[in-house]
Amino acid sequence: MMHQTIKRDGVETIGNPHLSLEGINKKYGLVEVISNLNLEVRKGELIALLGPSGCGKTTTLRMIAGLIAPSAGKIAVGGRDVTHIAPHGRDMGLVFQSYALFPHMTVAKNVAFGLEMRGLSRADIANKVAKALAMVQLGHLAERKPRELSGGQQQRVALARALVIEPSILLLDEPLSNLDAKLRDEMRTQIRDIQQELGITTVFVTHDQVEALSMCDRIVVMKGGLIEQVGTPHEIYERPTTPFVASFVGRTNRVKGKRTGDGCIRIGSSMIRSARPAVQDDVMVMVRPHRIHVDWSAASTERQGETQNRMAAVLSRITFVGDVIQYHFDVGGTEFIVEESTKKSQASRRQGDEAVLSWSVEDTLVFGADQ
Amino acid sequence: MEDNPTSWFMRITVTILFLFLLAPVLLVFPISFSGDQILAFPPSSWSLRWYEALLGNNVMMSAFLTSLGLASVVTVLSLIIAIPASYAIVRLKVTGSEFLFNLFTAPLLLPTIVLGLAILIIFASMGLLATFTGLVIGHLVITLPYALRVLSVSLGNLNLACEEAASSLGAKPLAVFGKVTLPMMAPGIVAATALCFLVSFDEVVITLFLTGPRMTTLPVELFHHVESQADPLVASVSVLLILMTLAVVMIVDRTMGLTKAFVK
Repeated sequence: MMHQTIKRDGVETIGNPHLSLEGINKKYGLVEVISNLNLEVRKGELIALLGPSGCGKTTTLRMIAGLIAPSAGKIAVGGRDVTHIAPHGRDMGLVFQSYALFPHMTVAKNVAFGLEMRGLSRADIANKVAKALAMVQLGHLAERKPRELSGGQQQRVALARALVIEPSILLLDEPLSNLDAKLRDEMRTQIRDIQQELGITTVFVTHDQVEALSMCDRIVVMKGGLIEQVGTPHEIYERPTTPFVASFVGRTNRVKGKRTGDGCIRIGSSMIRSARPAVQDDVMVMVRPHRIHVDWSAASTERQGETQNRMAAVLSRITFVGDVIQYHFDVGGTEFIVEESTKKSQASRRQGDEAVLSWSVEDTLVFGADQ
Repeated sequence: MEDNPTSWFMRITVTILFLFLLAPVLLVFPISFSGDQILAFPPSSWSLRWYEALLGNNVMMSAFLTSLGLASVVTVLSLIIAIPASYAIVRLKVTGSEFLFNLFTAPLLLPTIVLGLAILIIFASMGLLATFTGLVIGHLVITLPYALRVLSVSLGNLNLACEEAASSLGAKPLAVFGKVTLPMMAPGIVAATALCFLVSFDEVVITLFLTGPRMTTLPVELFHHVESQADPLVASVSVLLILMTLAVVMIVDRTMGLTKAFVK
């Protein structure tokens, strides 16, 4: 985004990375959970490891923290090889999904722990702890025990405890997953603000695409121990390079199609175009539900333009979600879901209504059917 | 819960059950205040003579002090051995730890009388019979399984992330153990302490083989006394034993809460 990225041998490299993982491999017995993972993170960047459970994102984070050792590969921070350094020598701040506060210590003692381990003076510790707690707006709860705090407050203490040692890297392992929806939104903004203010390099593990898209500079989408795609939230959403990324990040319609001689794709009896040419004869076409426009009055699909794809459809079901309405259309036997913001005129739509769906060629994602 | 038709029935049943369980224990208290020469209920007169007799009975009193000292030493040793052992078994998962755990806890499954006999045979050849050292070693065989089991469960239930957080904050392994693991194990340690103390303090079967005229414990002395005489002195000794047990249980309750120490 701000920096120049260079593609070399298919691996994205950046100049002078703060954190780099090279050829990381992790095996448990014969099971390979991470295979040849390469990743570079810039200084001050917030990068998300996004994927379903079991994709290896937490394993990767734990290897960066030094809690588990990779079977092969090298981990470096600021040019220093830390692959064989124990967690207590790595200078990393860790925040867990379960908060992991020390139950027998007060909030202030929890935050002070890392500073005491570093042998700071009493006055310095008190000063830094007060600042860290003020940063997460919990100064007034310093003398409480963790169990007297709400989940959100506990997670803010955990964040303060990880940040007070001024680590070279902040590692967040699903930090918002135990919080309720409203609190999650607040914490998202707060973590992003603090991260930006301190300019701290952060690795954020999550299975929630909204967290990844809304908070992070770049997203690493993982599946089955492999990196599927690395890119900015915009790139991941608009230009997914694999069908998995397209369907895991954001919702999408999936339709099978066939490549025709003139570069078009046939879906049933309709012909559509894509901005990127199909690479195989059998393809999977994906279109985001909210990128499709519904024309209720159009009589035909004739005006097949160069920039718009058009298909005739019959409304089969309506799902009202409040701020969004979902139309389920039948397009020659395949279901297409279209999402619109709700407005009053939609109340008159009935099952069986005919319409023409149109969407931009740019929004038409095409993948090989066997990908 | 209110207006539950079964609740009265339940309450009565539970009360009867409790009375059934506690009756023998409760009976000991009035008998200990008996003024009679022989053990009988109800006593025909009341007095404190059997408590005076107990205080004046040198054998009983020295047995009591032996029991107290023995239970204390055994408890401390059990913890010193079982805390690192449970850490090695649960956390470090050293090779053969499963086998070690089973070996350590096996005495719980063996008939105590067999265990006592086996220890007798070995100790006889080593000259450890009727010695304090011999008693300590004998008792450790049965207290260690309890300590190890309670501490392993306690350690296994801890949130490992707390220890990981501590090490990420710069704490070396020993500091993690001392400042995070050990304090978090506190409920388990209190429970193990209480269990070891009570098991050792009340132990009869194995101790019977290991004591002699030179050195004896309170429960064993009580056993011998009942064999030879039937006076209410045994009731006052029983009261002493019950009060000791109650004291331990109350200390646990005050420091930790019983449920926290034993149930969780």
